[in-house]
Amino acid sequence: MPVVSAFLMPGNPLPFLRQDNPPWAPLATAAKAAGEALRASRPDVLLIYSTQWFAVLDELWQARPHSTGVHVDENWYDYGDLQMDLRADVSLAQACVAGANAAGHRSKAVDYEGFPIDSGTIVANAFLNPGGTIPTVVAANNLYHDFATTEALGRVAAEQADLQGKRAAVIAVGGLSAGYFDKDIDIAEDRIVDEQSDAANRALLAAMEQGGADRLRAGLDDFAAAAKTDMGMKHLAWLLGGVGDFKNAHVHGYGSTYGAGAAVVEFKLA
Amino acid sequence: MSQGKILAGFVAPHPPHLVYAENPPQNEPRSEGGWEPLRWAYEKARKSIEELKPDVLLVHSPHWITTVGHHFLGVERLSGKSVDPIFPNLFRFAFDLNVDVDLAEACCGEAQALGLTAKMMRNPNFRVDYGTITTLHMVRPQWDIPVVGISANNSPYYLTLDEGVEEMERLGEATRRAIEKSGKRAVLLASNTFSHYHFHEEPEIPEDMSREHPQSYKGYKWDMRMIELMRRGEIREVMRLFPEWVEEAFAEVKSGAFPWMISAMEYPTTPAELHGYGTVIGTGNAVMEWRLAA
Repeated sequence: MPVVSAFLMPGNPLPFLRQDNPPWAPLATAAKAAGEALRASRPDVLLIYSTQWFAVLDELWQARPHSTGVHVDENWYDYGDLQMDLRADVSLAQACVAGANAAGHRSKAVDYEGFPIDSGTIVANAFLNPGGTIPTVVAANNLYHDFATTEALGRVAAEQADLQGKRAAVIAVGGLSAGYFDKDIDIAEDRIVDEQSDAANRALLAAMEQGGADRLRAGLDDFAAAAKTDMGMKHLAWLLGGVGDFKNAHVHGYGSTYGAGAAVVEFKLA
Repeated sequence: MSQGKILAGFVAPHPPHLVYAENPPQNEPRSEGGWEPLRWAYEKARKSIEELKPDVLLVHSPHWITTVGHHFLGVERLSGKSVDPIFPNLFRFAFDLNVDVDLAEACCGEAQALGLTAKMMRNPNFRVDYGTITTLHMVRPQWDIPVVGISANNSPYYLTLDEGVEEMERLGEATRRAIEKSGKRAVLLASNTFSHYHFHEEPEIPEDMSREHPQSYKGYKWDMRMIELMRRGEIREVMRLFPEWVEEAFAEVKSGAFPWMISAMEYPTTPAELHGYGTVIGTGNAVMEWRLAA
């Protein structure tokens, strides 16, 4: 079994940066619990897709052996700096590039000092993989890829990990409802921006808990009709491509990030 | 103190390919050139800036995207390395810029006074986005004029286009008021591409100009139509057609820099000068100048 665990993680850095803020603390606690579950699955590599790393030409795969340095989020710079500490499984990243190209999804590896790893990848990796000891393969969100293409890329990544005999954890980094407060708020009173988005988030999480890829796909259609979504929920396409199917899911936590929906979910694999 | 004024406004698009093609010492990758007509257009813009001798350059960039309000660079000196996450093979630039914090704060205050959510970015470790850097480098490679950097609030995408444009126009009005009170001579830079349809795969040699042409004929025709109106000084007609242009040409002006600048300049009927037009990965890019004062 190449894929040993799978998780949905929030991409917004606020729960990581301000773990003491009451509305965000449960998400931080949930993310740490997910980290324990991930480590218990003993993965050799994390296959990460974050909605916040944009690409427009080709599909990009991170192949810098060790990305370090300070990252400042372009929105949430007031809340503190983020420390990049991301190790790449370079041979697997290169294999993913080759595999994706062979599947018709033109891809390139990137390996540049100072590359700005996106906030979502940084905080998900920090929660799940403190110290960055487990190597990763990180794929970009090509803005012109649809759900099916992203699912195919997740499948390629899992297949390549399997070919290398590696135990993989699939990590989808992104939010749920994407409506946010566009005015300053008291962060201690953060909540989902409206009731309809809250209901849509809860329905989608229920579909995850009930299990089954087809049920989740149907749930995503309903979700898209009811709420603004984070990048078409392509992070879940990556996850579905990686795992194929799943039995059910455990929601470790659900909450708001400046009005937008966020959840930590552990998927139990079929 | 005499009243400050806006000397000129430029459409000054930001494809990092232009910096890459020029091979400045600040940028790590080396190129064989490329996109010469656009770079020659920027040479004319550089001459204009040299003639105008502004005290400050204000740039509104679509690649500093903010969700909660309009943000202004608020650290006196920002330096570091800006690696473009989209084109890291082309743009790894050592930036070092001086911010006119007084004017940025004044713009921020005027924006708040007009009912906009606005804030100052005070984090000294902030990585300045490649849009801001490319536009500034292409108009003034000496980097010797202080700048005001303004984010692209997400309102044209998050709200309706009309609501978003109205916010940008208010931001323009706030900018003008702040400049006038400052006593400074300012140049505005709208860091926008026009038609934003582009290719989805990069040539083996990015600067291989045999691969460069408009990606969309429809987008190209829209660009020519709008440029002609600008050259005739028909800016109200440009703004009337703005929603159609955005929709049909997928124009990057949607992100707000263009309406911000045009509003700040009080919808000038002065004919704009086209310094040049060219495509970058198929997108339409015009370097244009509205000269308002000497």
